[in-house]
Amino acid sequence: MLRTISHRLHLWLGLAGAVLVGLAALLPSALPAAAQTGGSPLHPTFPLLDADGANVLDSGQPVSTMTTCGACHDTEFIAAHSFHADVGLASYGAPGFQPWDTSPGLFGRWDPLAYRYLSPEGDERLDLTTAAWLQVFGRYHVGGGPAVRDRSGASLTDPADGRPLVETHIVDPDTGELVPWDWDKSGVVEMNCFLCHLQAPNNEARVAALEAGEFAWANTATLAGTGIVEQVGGVWRWNRAAFTETGELAQDYVTLQDPGAENCGQCHGLAHTDNQTPLVLDGCETDAWTTATTGQVFSPQVMLNSGTNLAGKASLNRSFDIHAERAVECVNCHYALNNPVYYRKAEDSELEHLVFDPRRIDLGEYLYRPLHEFAKGSSAQSALAPEFDDTLRRCESCHDAAVGHGWLPYRERHVEALGCETCHIPTLYGAARQATDWTVLTPQGTARTECRGIAPGGEPGAGDLFTGFSPVLLPRKDADGALTLAPHNLITTWFWVYGDPARPVPLRDLQAAWFDGAGYHPDVLAAFDADGDGTLADDELVLDSEAKVALIAARLEAQGLDTPRIEGEVRPYTISHNVTSGEWAIRDCTTCHSNESRLVSRVLLAEHTPGGVMPGFVSGSNLAISGELIAEDGALYYAPRHNSDELKLYVFGHDSVLWVDALGAVMFLGVVAGVTAHSGLRYIAARRWKARHGEVAYRREYMYSVYERQWHWLQTVVILLLLFTGLVIHKPHIFGMFSFRGVVLVHNVLAAILVINAALAAFYHLASGEIRQYLPEPHGFFGQAFAQALYYLRGIFRGEPHPFEKSPRRKMNPLQQVTYLVILNILLPLQMITGVLIWGAQTWPNVAAKLGGLSVLAPFHTLIAWSFAAFIVMHVYLTTTERTPLTGIKSMVTGWSEIEVHGSPEEA
Amino acid sequence: MNNPNNDQTSETNWLREFKYIWVIGLVATALIVIVPVVLAVRPEPAPADDPWAGVPKAKPATDHSALLKGPFETGSDVTLACLNCHADAAFEVMQTNHWTWQAPPVEVEWRAEPVSTGKANVLNNFCIGIQSNWTGCTRCHAGYGWDGPDFFATATAEQVDCLVCHDQSGQYVKASAGMPAEGVDLVLAAQSVGRPTRINCGSCHFNGGGGDAVKHGDLDETLYFPDEQLDVHMGRYDFQCVDCHRTDDHNIAGRSISVSVDNANQIACTDCHSATPHADTRVNAHTDTVACQTCHIPAAARREPTKMVWDWSTAGQDWPEDEHKYLKIKGSFIYEGNIVPSYDWYAGTAKRYLLGDPIDPSGVTKINDPIGDITDPQAKIWPFKIHTARQIYDAVNNYLLVPKTVGEGGYWTMFDWDLAAQLGSEQTGLDYSGEYGFTETVMYWPITHMVAPAEQALRCTDCHSANGRLDWGALGYPGDPMQWGGRDTTAVASK
Repeated sequence: MLRTISHRLHLWLGLAGAVLVGLAALLPSALPAAAQTGGSPLHPTFPLLDADGANVLDSGQPVSTMTTCGACHDTEFIAAHSFHADVGLASYGAPGFQPWDTSPGLFGRWDPLAYRYLSPEGDERLDLTTAAWLQVFGRYHVGGGPAVRDRSGASLTDPADGRPLVETHIVDPDTGELVPWDWDKSGVVEMNCFLCHLQAPNNEARVAALEAGEFAWANTATLAGTGIVEQVGGVWRWNRAAFTETGELAQDYVTLQDPGAENCGQCHGLAHTDNQTPLVLDGCETDAWTTATTGQVFSPQVMLNSGTNLAGKASLNRSFDIHAERAVECVNCHYALNNPVYYRKAEDSELEHLVFDPRRIDLGEYLYRPLHEFAKGSSAQSALAPEFDDTLRRCESCHDAAVGHGWLPYRERHVEALGCETCHIPTLYGAARQATDWTVLTPQGTARTECRGIAPGGEPGAGDLFTGFSPVLLPRKDADGALTLAPHNLITTWFWVYGDPARPVPLRDLQAAWFDGAGYHPDVLAAFDADGDGTLADDELVLDSEAKVALIAARLEAQGLDTPRIEGEVRPYTISHNVTSGEWAIRDCTTCHSNESRLVSRVLLAEHTPGGVMPGFVSGSNLAISGELIAEDGALYYAPRHNSDELKLYVFGHDSVLWVDALGAVMFLGVVAGVTAHSGLRYIAARRWKARHGEVAYRREYMYSVYERQWHWLQTVVILLLLFTGLVIHKPHIFGMFSFRGVVLVHNVLAAILVINAALAAFYHLASGEIRQYLPEPHGFFGQAFAQALYYLRGIFRGEPHPFEKSPRRKMNPLQQVTYLVILNILLPLQMITGVLIWGAQTWPNVAAKLGGLSVLAPFHTLIAWSFAAFIVMHVYLTTTERTPLTGIKSMVTGWSEIEVHGSPEEA
Repeated sequence: MNNPNNDQTSETNWLREFKYIWVIGLVATALIVIVPVVLAVRPEPAPADDPWAGVPKAKPATDHSALLKGPFETGSDVTLACLNCHADAAFEVMQTNHWTWQAPPVEVEWRAEPVSTGKANVLNNFCIGIQSNWTGCTRCHAGYGWDGPDFFATATAEQVDCLVCHDQSGQYVKASAGMPAEGVDLVLAAQSVGRPTRINCGSCHFNGGGGDAVKHGDLDETLYFPDEQLDVHMGRYDFQCVDCHRTDDHNIAGRSISVSVDNANQIACTDCHSATPHADTRVNAHTDTVACQTCHIPAAARREPTKMVWDWSTAGQDWPEDEHKYLKIKGSFIYEGNIVPSYDWYAGTAKRYLLGDPIDPSGVTKINDPIGDITDPQAKIWPFKIHTARQIYDAVNNYLLVPKTVGEGGYWTMFDWDLAAQLGSEQTGLDYSGEYGFTETVMYWPITHMVAPAEQALRCTDCHSANGRLDWGALGYPGDPMQWGGRDTTAVASK
């Protein structure tokens, strides 16, 4: 501390006599930088050796990582066990996502963002040969693998006899001619230890060396800026001052470490771990591949402290990634698979009683031969090294979902159906590619692109506004084969292909079709330049008519391309980072449980469909895509489906079966209409038969015991509340004032009360024999039922007495008996059973699944609920048929009934 | 239902027992309802601590407008009027540091004899010292008429200034030697008295060092009307200074190592908050080692830049003036805003430079070196503003000097360092050799105000990362304690 203070003071004092104006402006930049990165505390010093094992100080040659690091570490083993180095070379010929992919990895898999294509041997028209691939894609490759060996596994610097052209030549970008590539001159790119293990590798210099074709120097260039080596006049020179007298790198220059997020980020995506520097995102176009494809940004920075123009920034008091914020590094989850700290046996190979297996390699062995196969997940966009899928620490390897989700109803069900990421990655704040249209070329000679999560900046100088976007939820096959919804980005790409088998049209040919010299070809301009301003704006660059398609196709044909045609693809990219803590995760149930459920909300895929071509999802990913692509008004949408045969989700509050609700409503409204008509007629009839009304004699009788009344009214209240809460759960958007979660809890508690109450009542009725009240007598039942029906249809209007006299021993008429038999012994139990199964779907999913799952149980439950609603209307109405309309209800309150005295009492 | 032979008898029995059965039925119903509800609804766990329990409930102020009619000619007239009812008030004030500007002697580890310090007898690296400069400095004394060395020999209760703390009229201003400024309406001021607000305290404490935001780095005039982002206590909850700086008999709690050498009557976050208030035990594990302020005040001087460097040696030149860069009377400054504090161990006291202590003029003199290191279980990592200066010292005797700046013969009028040193030394009693120079000094200002809302607190990677705020090596750690382990805290646990 003191050091920095006095440094600042002395500096200031030295300047004090000078011109004061501007002094303060000078100072901030002159303040000492934050702690100078010192040497690694652990790594010993070592000499830098060239490929022949000679000290580079003596030879002046590029450093060889294989010999330098190989002095202590088994670099041959490391390079041979690394899919980062291999990137598909070993599996060359295996399928990727498109028919023309020659491997599942970077080396051979067509990338719709970069467009360039590694040509297989034998192709007549070449795009990228191996050397050109290194120049273009080497920036995403750590070296080794295809940067060292050819497709047959031989060294690229071996004599070229019999090798295919794609290994020995390169297409001259100026002439389009195939010219030989001198591997001896360019050298090869060994696996670059520095890129990942140096505190501050110089990726820019490395990429520049690769692009220049100086492959052998690429790893040396990674050290540029460290003081170890510098480039003077295009020549790399080793700095003797950075070495000890014995020719070893001085300790201060040994800045080796475990790979940090920024090391990984050089190829994978934007990683910004320095909290002292505001993170500034600008625009959507980026070389950071994972950021460009998904919007993921790995940074501990709190968004409102960042320098990015984020919508609603003032309230974005969350970090970009909670794991970055909590000092979790990439390699903590994506660890080397034989790292003894992290290594775990596969669960199915473990003995059940063994909690820990102590037999593992020791650190010395690990450091000698650290496996450079890293624990990985199973992202949709990655097909490489499937044998290591889901080896990484997944969410549940570290987190216990049972803790901290106490607030969430049906936790197990949610965890089963949804990936943790679904709620914990609610929004991506970086911009991501939405669509790429390679059927047209912008004036810069590249595709027209669309992005998500970004809007053009309003204020001048403010930059683009980052609005954030919600990822689309797609069903993903997990390691255990289960399907869960997980967040993804969908990128749609249109492009020209030619020939048979199809190949993407090389960019060189595409450019030749569109451009004539520096500008667009006049024919192209004439066809596309709608406003005649001599240039093509973004909205003019669309193949929206057959004429335009035909023009470009013809121009491609003129390049010698066979049957050029437009193809489209939709490619999913899994999103697993930019996780946030519970506070910022999705907690609002109605995000999914509402009529506007996120699970089914349409996602815009592209604003145009070039040439009217409908794209298809690429095959080979681990997703069970169930939704459909919809073209509407020229734009393309994805409409997700969550109730496909595979996924079979029934989402309360969103899903309903139309015929169930229709039938239920008809039943309910029919009963309401019926009783309305009936009561109207009764009213009119009663006026007419008023005179006779007085003639009927009544007697008071104690009809309902205390328990019966208590049971009845509790049941009444609970059933009414159940119907209401059930309705809220069924259609939450109509009852926005209620908390969905609260209503679900209330519904469940009410159901429990109902079950207890019903069980006690069943016991009471059985034990006391009162159950007999509900059992119709078989003898003469139909006659009696008919008589009762006839009474309701005719007699009641004439003021006739009830056909059966009510008595404590026979409280119900035959119609009531059969109705209650159905209600209490069929409907109520069914409703309870379906309810319990729905509730238990999380605990006993198999039982529910056997009965058709929630998608059968839930509509069934709804249908019975409708029946109950209809019954209650009927039930209440029929209580009004006693002496006065309220007599029946009063009797259920007081227990005392007023009963018509009939001439000849019925014998029960 | 029982079914006796005679229905009438049965009904009579039922009626006789009716009430009893009714109650049973109700209880049964209630149980059927309550049991599932209780099982389903679990109460929220009670919060670990209740900070509001520590906040005093202020009594509403008495309206004095009918009680104090005036007229008042002088400040002392007002004080006399106050003493009519609050007879002990002035005598209480006269026991406190706000009046004496010098604390009673205390034993300290770093000196054999007890030490008595205060504004009256120390020097700092801002305006340096009050001796010989009384009239300028005592503007902020809670009294009237301190204009020379003999003030306390004759001072009486009526010279206590009640209004500077209690005035709520907003127009009471003090001038030279602490006298009410010309034009102040004393009657209005007297009638307005109430509980001290941030404005009363701030009129002096926000302007320490000769102006707004100069001295502390965490106290400036933005705290008169702060928003919650600046200070969560004063902004979100409208805390007044005296809500935390609790006061008994006019003795206001709170000490600063800029003048104090002991830590008695101190206040702390834990007066209201639990020592382990975080939901995350990993965060709570920090509180033995890291002061609350370290994380909860992510930056100091967040709204107004504060003075970081003061070079007296360039004073006296006819350079262009800018109160934040150069003044002829004071020399050159550097102000910085939104500063990331410096962090160091601190157990609550400092080793203070006392008048006459020898210095090494070629080195840096620490005027108040915070005491504590990684081995001191009482010490925690604290945030500091570090103020650096070049100030005058005696080039023969090798000690810092208090120059006379204010008033007749002072540097601010004569621009003569030699004369200023001579006149100042006459008052401090230090021998002045006649040769002076300028030497570098630093002062540590613990950052403790401007507590940000919890959401703004530092997070893991602010310290635990490659480019974190803390220099682990300088703090005495072998490396990031997250990876290499923290200090041995057994001593703390057993304290």
